[in-house]
Amino acid sequence: MGKTITEKVLSRVTGGDVSAGEIIYPEPELITVHDWYVVNFDKALKELGVEKLYEPDKVIISTDHEPVAVSPQASERQKQVREIVKKYGIKHFYDSGRGGHGHIFPVEMGFVKPGMFVEAYDVHVTNFGAVGALAIPVLIEITEVLACGSVWLKVPETVRVNLTGSLLPGTNMRDVAQKLICDLGAERVDYAVVEFGGDAMPSIDIAGRHTLCNTPIDIGAKSVLVEPDQSTLDYLAGRVNGPIDLISSDLDANFREIIDYDLNVLEPQIAIPPTPDCVVGVSEVVGKEVHHAFIGSCAAANLSDLRAAAEILRGNRIHPQVRFIITPGTQEIMSAAEEEGLIGLFAEAGAMITQPGCGPCAGGRIGGMADGETSINTGTRNDYGRLGAMKSEIYLGSASTVAASAIQGKITDPRDFLN
Amino acid sequence: MDWIYKGKCWKFGDNLGIDGDVMPLRFALERELDKNILRDYLMAGVDPEFPQKVSPGDIIVAGKRFGQGNPHIQGFLGIVGHGLGLVAESIPRGSFRNAINAGLPFLNGCDGVGNDVDTGDELEVNFLTGEFNNLSRNITRQYMPLDAKLREIIQAGGWAPSLEKRLSHVR
Repeated sequence: MGKTITEKVLSRVTGGDVSAGEIIYPEPELITVHDWYVVNFDKALKELGVEKLYEPDKVIISTDHEPVAVSPQASERQKQVREIVKKYGIKHFYDSGRGGHGHIFPVEMGFVKPGMFVEAYDVHVTNFGAVGALAIPVLIEITEVLACGSVWLKVPETVRVNLTGSLLPGTNMRDVAQKLICDLGAERVDYAVVEFGGDAMPSIDIAGRHTLCNTPIDIGAKSVLVEPDQSTLDYLAGRVNGPIDLISSDLDANFREIIDYDLNVLEPQIAIPPTPDCVVGVSEVVGKEVHHAFIGSCAAANLSDLRAAAEILRGNRIHPQVRFIITPGTQEIMSAAEEEGLIGLFAEAGAMITQPGCGPCAGGRIGGMADGETSINTGTRNDYGRLGAMKSEIYLGSASTVAASAIQGKITDPRDFLN
Repeated sequence: MDWIYKGKCWKFGDNLGIDGDVMPLRFALERELDKNILRDYLMAGVDPEFPQKVSPGDIIVAGKRFGQGNPHIQGFLGIVGHGLGLVAESIPRGSFRNAINAGLPFLNGCDGVGNDVDTGDELEVNFLTGEFNNLSRNITRQYMPLDAKLREIIQAGGWAPSLEKRLSHVR
């Protein structure tokens, strides 16, 4: 019997021959933790009497949830994070203004390679699957990984999704990624790795792959990855040193299911409250008044998202009733957007540009909402209270849909602007 | 620890929610982890008298998706607080992990087990081997026991003591 990418990666790191269902203690080759959990893991380690990390050089800490401290408590936490990082000798520390979003910049900077095994505190680390890495969130058990080098893992099965067809004008990978999790449903992917491949893959750039790898975790997948290909090699050239192995699943691997999925999703898609997999076509919610709009988050903060927004915003102004926040994913994306003139274009249209990172999506600490307000944004989740007030509503869509809606002050089909 | 539990069966249906049915949500929000407190609220959503009725060694027999919902550990700590075992048709993954981390001996994937029991039956379950006996009805079943690596965590008393034990080897 052949093996899936996941089984191959976990066999390699454990030095064994593992298959789905086995319980193993695999050691990750990279570990990421964000600024809002550093103080917590330090406290847990102190209680356990642990003074040294198992392998501090494998750890990346990113200040992305609250890069600009907006309260005395946040400033205090930032100070503690800096002290903790120093105490444990963690050299890969990307503080405010350095890296940006911890689910995006490590890929840009070449920390992440195809076939690599990664563990993290935060769930959306599955973005690393964009270049074919297996990245698994372990939440509070990251303490055990930091102290002992590993934590138990049941080798997950794989659901293979072969993407076919092509995008229609006015839609992008966000629309596909949203509709896909709605169509798949939680039962089918529960505890499985969703592995993307198929004929349409060459047409999807790394930014689009980030988005594809971001959404399935929200319906209970264990991880998500794209089978690496020539596009992956092209992207990583100059970012990663040394040889790159284009790992792939064997033809006779034991997949839980193999699904064909067409990129032609007919129209832009909107996730309506209260979960990201409650997805409808934009035509069902067009006209819904909005007060808040946001482009950013690990689901859609890449240069291509900003370009898509700029295409619609050019020559237009944000509706007077709407406050519009744009958070580029990383310092590199911010810089590239500036070079292309996008930042100036956004400012002229009436948008606010924030420090790279999670932006409002991290619980609405910056640019949140009040009761009774409605937001259209590209964040990862739309649970009640995600952006602050419990009685506010969040609709999720592509950067194009958000930009069009911000101009009109109501949910708008972006195709109205693309003639 | 003794992996063989002998006691009364407490039968429940499908889809018991970890928050609400098995344990009031407020304990998760308060991050309460004391099993001696949590035990008094076990099954509060479906049988408020439950904590008074059970004895150590008794066994909860549940249907599909036991502990569904946002994975919070408190319900499983409440079960451990009474010294009960658990046999379920299925347990969603987040709750499966929490059951291990709470140090609860359990069997998962026991299809159709509800057809073999009723509340009040005398059961004997060997969580080491997966052997399940309904002594009242003379029914014996063989289920898949938990992986040995996971039983080690349960044997240690759950995640925190197991981690302490592991650290004592690393140091």
